[in-house]
Amino acid sequence: MKYMDKSIKEIHEVLKNGEVKSKELIEESLEKSKEVQEKCNAFVTILEDAKEVPVTDDLLSGIPYGIKDNYSTKGILSTGSSNTLKDYVPFFTATAIENLESHGAVATNKTVLDEFGMGGTGTTGHTGIVKNPWDTTRMCAGSSAGSACAVAAGVYPYATGSDTGDSIRKPAAYCGIVGYKPTYGMISRYGLFPFASSLDHCGVLARSVEDASIVVDAMKGIDKNDMTSWDSKDIHLYDSLTGDVKGKKVCTIKEISNPSMYPNASSELKEHLENFQKALEHFKELGVEVEEVSVDSKLLNALASVYVVISCAEATSNMSNLTGIVFGPRANADNYIDMMKKYRTEGFSPLIKRRFVIGSYVLQAENKERYFHNAQRVRRLLVDRWKEIFKSFDAVILPVGSGPAKHLDNSEDILDENTGVLEEHLQIGNFGGFPSITIPDGFVSGLPVGLNITGNCYDDVNVLNLAYALESSMPYKNQVAKEEK
Amino acid sequence: MERKFTKKMVDDYADKLLIGLTEEENKMVLEEFDIIDAQIDIINSIPDISEVTPMTHCLDDFVYELREDEDDEEGSVPIDDLLSNCDDYVGDEIRVPKVVG
Repeated sequence: MKYMDKSIKEIHEVLKNGEVKSKELIEESLEKSKEVQEKCNAFVTILEDAKEVPVTDDLLSGIPYGIKDNYSTKGILSTGSSNTLKDYVPFFTATAIENLESHGAVATNKTVLDEFGMGGTGTTGHTGIVKNPWDTTRMCAGSSAGSACAVAAGVYPYATGSDTGDSIRKPAAYCGIVGYKPTYGMISRYGLFPFASSLDHCGVLARSVEDASIVVDAMKGIDKNDMTSWDSKDIHLYDSLTGDVKGKKVCTIKEISNPSMYPNASSELKEHLENFQKALEHFKELGVEVEEVSVDSKLLNALASVYVVISCAEATSNMSNLTGIVFGPRANADNYIDMMKKYRTEGFSPLIKRRFVIGSYVLQAENKERYFHNAQRVRRLLVDRWKEIFKSFDAVILPVGSGPAKHLDNSEDILDENTGVLEEHLQIGNFGGFPSITIPDGFVSGLPVGLNITGNCYDDVNVLNLAYALESSMPYKNQVAKEEK
Repeated sequence: MERKFTKKMVDDYADKLLIGLTEEENKMVLEEFDIIDAQIDIINSIPDISEVTPMTHCLDDFVYELREDEDDEEGSVPIDDLLSNCDDYVGDEIRVPKVVG
């Protein structure tokens, strides 16, 4: 009997009634980890010495899970999937992980990401590319590629992720699972390797809205070590799932999801948008009002650059501490400047280096106003527009990406002039710190696709309830990758 | 047309970051710069954009409460822990090549 493809509540029940022991679940998860590693390369470290814990009434106790390798874990290799930290072993554990441990969760591996979270393909980690468990010729997207892959493949019911642009929510769509990042600051970022601090969110990849809610309930909480965290003790996500959404109002954005915006759409995009329309019909049947609103295309078309400018600028600053002198594998050179340069040149992947140069350029005194401050201004205009929408609607609902997972041989992660807003709009959730969740909504070319629901800050319960109700009206809940090629 | 961004410029910025770029990496940065610059032109054409206050943080209505300034001995990190990831140190000090001759 296998259990790792079940829901958290189902696993908890069999643990409580003695049908299975935590130790057996850990063994199953480790076994499955090795199988998935062979096929998909999802892990930096498999924690062979993971220990069983007592099973309590806590839903997470004794159940295995995965940790994205940009969360610090005391005494356990934590690389950020970068050669610059390939031997780094932290002396403390990230608060979110400590919180999960205090609920009895048992980590069985650390998952691969795009280097430091700065990519969207799952192909730039220092241990190699992560393959999609539904079709190993396709990518998982990123940066939480390993976590999404492992959850979809049934290694455990959930794994942690982090999300600066769409790094939880897009891999979730490509892997046919749920990806949820709560309101900024609900989960402490202490111990998460910083990428772009004003955009970084912690969150989870799971196979159902219910499981995602259970996990974030355990991860969240105010933390004295993260001054941007806030007190959410009166918010009980899992207990608030009612499925009653009658009378709620959601909207789509014409410029992003209306098929008429894509006169030359590929057959995959057409199918993806048709799936989305079907999901909207489900919502209407549940008593949810669905309307379409319009947003200035000029703002939407600037989105990708706004993200690149802000995230690269913040990353350049955050990662200036990577010198190889205090930690990281030290480079050999005659002087300390050359030591640092060699370490950084050889350690960072080409993608990261390019992003750092962009970040440095936009922060130069002579460029700051034109690039960095203007990007921050458009960030405000976009967030203000979304907040205006939230005055009339409970949430915005949109398709994720332009179709199913892309082929790995087409994985360039550079800013493309033709990149559609459809591929980038999830970044608005990071600009505003909005709670945002992706759920699967069907299949295109035999591969899963997803939709996203985003609401106003602190309104996580509403967003989760909408997702919970819609998920229950479609047959994709708790799905595990079925055709491993 | 004279290019706004040049190879030398990209190499200079990379050098300031203590990063070396290959020819190919330099070329990719140049291409991305051109795209970003074109999109920034769109931003600059938004009426009264300069009147908008830049948004620096996603919860910029967040009220920070300063904590009491208390000694937190538990929060201090043993020096051995701090040095545990350093490849070259002597006693409590990190060793680097001589700076002054």
